[in-house]
Amino acid sequence: MDKLIKVWDLPTRLFHWSLVLLMLAAVVTIKLGGSWMAWHERCGYAIITLMIFRILWGLWGSQTARFSDFVRSPLAVLRYLKGQASTTPGHNPLGALSVLAMIAVVLLQGLTGLIIDDEIATRGPLADKVPNAWVSMATTLHRINEKVIYLLVFMHLGAIVYHRKKGHRLLPAMWHGRASSSHPQPRIASVWLATLTLLVAAVAVYVLVVVYATRQ
Amino acid sequence: MFRTFLLLLSGVALMGTAQAQMKPEDAIKYRKAAFSLLGYNIGNIGAMAQEKRPYNKDEAAKLAANAEKVSAMAFDFFTPGSDKGDTKAKANIWAEMDKFQAGGKKMNEEVAKLAMVAKNGDLAALKAQMGEVGKTCKGCHDNYKNQ
Repeated sequence: MDKLIKVWDLPTRLFHWSLVLLMLAAVVTIKLGGSWMAWHERCGYAIITLMIFRILWGLWGSQTARFSDFVRSPLAVLRYLKGQASTTPGHNPLGALSVLAMIAVVLLQGLTGLIIDDEIATRGPLADKVPNAWVSMATTLHRINEKVIYLLVFMHLGAIVYHRKKGHRLLPAMWHGRASSSHPQPRIASVWLATLTLLVAAVAVYVLVVVYATRQ
Repeated sequence: MFRTFLLLLSGVALMGTAQAQMKPEDAIKYRKAAFSLLGYNIGNIGAMAQEKRPYNKDEAAKLAANAEKVSAMAFDFFTPGSDKGDTKAKANIWAEMDKFQAGGKKMNEEVAKLAMVAKNGDLAALKAQMGEVGKTCKGCHDNYKNQ
């Protein structure tokens, strides 16, 4: 008997939609350039904060947010692809890989951005702390990785459309958190724990891009 | 005799033009130097505009004045033949030289304005003008520079 359960907790949903908005803003500001570069950088700092939050939330957050809950073996992914795996609430085994890939490339984009030099007027806050060979490598990587992110986002949207066609609506669940399932309610972690986790991430980024970066 | 004289004369004339013509290798060397210094001056004003380093009126004015001088010569070094060599300049610069030089002129004007603004010591105006300068840089980097 299917019933409505809460699949995605509020922190994970807020994380997801903030990331969407910030990534859009990062793309718009980089295309505008000029004075908007300051905002591009701020988007980057916020995105790094979100990624650190998500990694920590993957360690001690709600059940469906935890890596230990959704990251499966390559064999399990194969079984899922063959349609042999039973579905559990949260990310499916293939979707888990997409989550890991997304975290990796978006974090890489943020970290390379910290030591980048656009050869106009914007240098990452830590560009002066590393050798120039790193700066030029990071600059190249930042530009290539931009295209990789577009590809992953495109695949992400493609997967949503694919599942929709199979009668599985993913979008509403990411919006209000609920989905119908025969499984018991997954454990939901406290919003206060999420707030504290976000604070830890924000302080880490602040120390890195402001305190450490401006230290002589 | 007269023919030999003419030949010698044309030979000397040819040598003269050959000397006036900068070696492509040198053109690349000089423009890299010019853009490096432009980057140093503009980059440091940019850091002040983005509040990554403290704003100092006199320093900003000096940096902007130097940027104006360097930017005025930077576009003299895209000579014929200097599309080949150790350069990130794209070949379409030489195909669209008028458009490219117009872009360079626009940047010179914006940098000259920046030098004016920097003298006044108004940080808000400096930030705004840095935005305009940045746009002209980006315009050409996007179209004419290999990343």
